[in-house]
Amino acid sequence: MDTTLHHPEDELLASYSAGSLPLSQAMCVSAHLEHCQSCNQKLRRLNSVGSALLENLSPAPVADKLKSKLLDQLDTLSEAVSAPTHTGDASIPRCLHQFVDGDYSQLAWKWVSPDIHSVELCRDSNGAKVELLKIKPGGSASTHTHLSDEYTVILEGSFSDEQGVYRKGDFLLRDRDDRHTPMASLDRECICLAVTEGPIQFTGFFSRLLNPLLRRSYA
Amino acid sequence: MGAMTNHQTSRDKLATLSACMLRVAENRDKRAYAEIFDHYAPLLRAYSLMRDPGAELVADELVQEVMIRVWLKADKYNHKLSNLNTWIFTLARNCRIDYLRRNSRYASEIDPAEWFEQIEDESPGPFQQVQTSRIEESIRAGLGELPREQSEILTKVYLEGKSHQQTSEELALPLGTVKSRVRLALKKLEVLVVR
Repeated sequence: MDTTLHHPEDELLASYSAGSLPLSQAMCVSAHLEHCQSCNQKLRRLNSVGSALLENLSPAPVADKLKSKLLDQLDTLSEAVSAPTHTGDASIPRCLHQFVDGDYSQLAWKWVSPDIHSVELCRDSNGAKVELLKIKPGGSASTHTHLSDEYTVILEGSFSDEQGVYRKGDFLLRDRDDRHTPMASLDRECICLAVTEGPIQFTGFFSRLLNPLLRRSYA
Repeated sequence: MGAMTNHQTSRDKLATLSACMLRVAENRDKRAYAEIFDHYAPLLRAYSLMRDPGAELVADELVQEVMIRVWLKADKYNHKLSNLNTWIFTLARNCRIDYLRRNSRYASEIDPAEWFEQIEDESPGPFQQVQTSRIEESIRAGLGELPREQSEILTKVYLEGKSHQQTSEELALPLGTVKSRVRLALKKLEVLVVR
């Protein structure tokens, strides 16, 4: 389970633990946690920070009525029927169950470039775009920078860029100052979960022509 | 000396409450449940008011939601995995996320109900049990000694539910400073030190 080399920063995990991370970013952290024992261990400790802060609060008195009402209710309470279990591919992270029913191949992939297909899963309330990217074996994304942060988790296969090699479960954060050219490994396609808060900016000569198109898709 | 006694009291209190929790899980004991309510409900209410000052109804709703989950999920509470305080904190946090999702003006399509909890329900590694209780004690002791500028940021992030971005805007600090203060605080608390 613990093969990942690239982890979210501690302060990002702390926000996840606090529940104050935008849900789209939390999805990426969650997908990473399924592969990473050490981050899980950190998370438990970070939860203890929350619990210590909670314990240190000055108690705010609760009306007796609320307590007696709740105690009277106890026998009638029953847990809401739990969500149907996911029937899709077991390697799909839980945070994607809501969006990926069978396996990745059944999704409505859209052509982005000869090497890349993508499928948008949803938008977060802050406008961030949550999508899956599929890069064909040996394929590469044009060199690009970002107008905002981009969170990526590798779900299948692997890819590399100027800064390293990333494998299943690895977590990357590229901010607006990073310029990179991701390239999938030769032997198999690479599927990633990607969250971007704004359009990416292509910097290659030809692909720069794509920029106005991309920006429009964020409007 | 005072701190020492305090420490002892809170440890005794936690032991009593954990015993209550066991009675709730095994015997559906309502007296024990009432004791748990008396301790945690006012803290949960305070937690909600930290995020939404003055929102009394929201606070009452959070208290109810969390305490209902305590009753329904009692058998899922694993004292080997986390102490009761931490379990209650994660329930409160999950209820808050859930509430915000349902009631926010810009509702997110993302539903974290399933995955946010499940990850933490998984079984611990062999060394985790001892660590959890020892670490929680040292964190509580350490919180009181953090410089104000660091504890302030932890309060924003954990209790007020603010993102780093919001924290940086409210305190008029650069984003990088907010992040580095979180990191420094965690380092001082030795949260992430692997022993």
